[in-house]
Amino acid sequence: MDEDGLLEEAYGLSQDQRAELLLGALVCVVVALLVAMIAFVFHEAWPSFAHNGVGWFGPGGSVDGQIQAIFTSGELNQVAVWTFHAWPLIWSTILITAAAVAIAFVGSLFVAVFMVEFAPDRLKRVLEPVVRLLASVPSVIYGLLGVLVIVPFIGDHLITEHEKASVTPVIQLSGSSVLAAVLILTVMIAPIMIAVFADGLRAVPRGWLEGSLALGINRWRTFWKVGVRTARPVLVAGTVLATARALGEAVMLSMVSGGVGFSPNPADGLIFLFEPSRPLAATIIANTEQLSSPPMKHTLYAIAAVLLFSAAMLSLIGWAAKQPMKRYGVIA
Amino acid sequence: MLRPMGAVMKGTTLRSKTRAFVIMAAVIPVLALPAAAAASTLFGSGSSAEQPILNVLFRGYNRQHHKIRFNFLPDGGNTGVKDVQAGRRLFAVNTRPPLPSDSRTTQFKLFLDGLCVAVNPSNRLSNLPIPQAKDIFTGVDTNWGQVGGSNLTTTIDPVGRNSSAGSYTFFQSAVLGGATQSSNVHPVTSDGLVATAVASDKNAIGYVGLAHSGKSSGVRTVKLNGVGCNAHNIKNESYPLFRFIWGVVPSTHASVQVEKFFDWVRTSKQAGQIISRAGAVPAFNK
Repeated sequence: MDEDGLLEEAYGLSQDQRAELLLGALVCVVVALLVAMIAFVFHEAWPSFAHNGVGWFGPGGSVDGQIQAIFTSGELNQVAVWTFHAWPLIWSTILITAAAVAIAFVGSLFVAVFMVEFAPDRLKRVLEPVVRLLASVPSVIYGLLGVLVIVPFIGDHLITEHEKASVTPVIQLSGSSVLAAVLILTVMIAPIMIAVFADGLRAVPRGWLEGSLALGINRWRTFWKVGVRTARPVLVAGTVLATARALGEAVMLSMVSGGVGFSPNPADGLIFLFEPSRPLAATIIANTEQLSSPPMKHTLYAIAAVLLFSAAMLSLIGWAAKQPMKRYGVIA
Repeated sequence: MLRPMGAVMKGTTLRSKTRAFVIMAAVIPVLALPAAAAASTLFGSGSSAEQPILNVLFRGYNRQHHKIRFNFLPDGGNTGVKDVQAGRRLFAVNTRPPLPSDSRTTQFKLFLDGLCVAVNPSNRLSNLPIPQAKDIFTGVDTNWGQVGGSNLTTTIDPVGRNSSAGSYTFFQSAVLGGATQSSNVHPVTSDGLVATAVASDKNAIGYVGLAHSGKSSGVRTVKLNGVGCNAHNIKNESYPLFRFIWGVVPSTHASVQVEKFFDWVRTSKQAGQIISRAGAVPAFNK
């Protein structure tokens, strides 16, 4: 008689019940870790929000100057300085993320439609692995390509001396700019979107498309009006995923977006594209060496808390956007 | 008779399997201990400007004392001092003199170095008075036409460091007179990146340590107040931006091995040779 049989009799648990308990325990551990991490970040972030109030999110002076004041006050054991108005960083994040997602959405949708429906088989067999490979390239490689190729190109060939002279000494137009950041971020998030969109388009029931074709509607219109429309929840899911990645992109943007806390102003005309800025995640990276100063540490955690919160809000918006689509029986 | 699915090994029980696992879990770390005790790693952090020289010094010391290894994190001189104060690192290397805020640390002068001002080789500027360097980095002079001696007439692109760098603090006190550098200075995160940025932009000017401004760096250093940035002028302290490189240890319970290493760097002949070959200036070595 073996021991496992005895256990089974003693505790009354079969093997699959034990497996279920174990997996349930693992899930609880993961959820508990996530909740603990979020609680820790918000706890550490609280002093910075408490000292600044709602003004934390607004404009007010040079954000780089404020960061230096916060760091040196902690470093030189002076009275801690907490003043921080993060609007230039928030505006930079919104600008770069929204522009990249908008451009990537349009491009990725067309590429996905082509890849699923209209591409010849040979091309399909090449495109699909290539897209998946591109989606898994580490972002620092994009950053390196940006620093070595795109930024010098913009700096040497697109920015004129007249434009540079018109904005110095407030900012330096050096090629690391909104344009470089948006371009590289678009290329970075497009493969993810293409892969998700293509999966969704492939899941459209074949019978619906065939029925439409049988009624005499041409291929393009069928696919667009029936196929893409059915796949709208997947489009939303893909966009949310890509936006979350764009929001959290730190390494690449710290290399190509300019590194100064400045709010690019669309009213500046063409120069607006060449202005440097620095999104929230890149600010955390640029200042990690200053974590030793306590007020700086709390300020960086506050930035992290804002990023966590926006990721959560993004998921919520994605879920809410899919609700109206449920009416038509699509699997949302 | 059907064998129940739970029995894996014939003749073993659950209890004996658990016992075997516990014994293995206890023995393996014990076996790893002798291997770890053989070598000791000394963790330090600080100046990225001095990292090339420090790396050669670490290797040189390791050749004589095989059991001592070093791990150095170049997070900036000021951050290095904070690391030592907080007990995160055994030692730090900084490029600015001690401040009152460096309490609870003991600092040693190790060797001499200079902070050079460098321009792109296509810029014919050869001499820069210090007040004009201050004007450039505080945004008063914005065009190379305003700087005498330069053949360019384009906008100046200043490159500098951020506030975690000892080099920035030193430059701020020695050249800018305590003023913050202007917002059009492009802040990069390490000394080597300043040289890279200046080498790739013909309108750039930046402050970079002696080690990163040598012949192969792609930049050309300018004279400050007529004195060139080289080992000779730094040793006789005629170059205005000469600085001592300081080794920082905690005041209480400093590591004996670190103090021996610092003594070797300060006074031994081999360390002096390593320092001069690496591009800095030995100060006290025989």
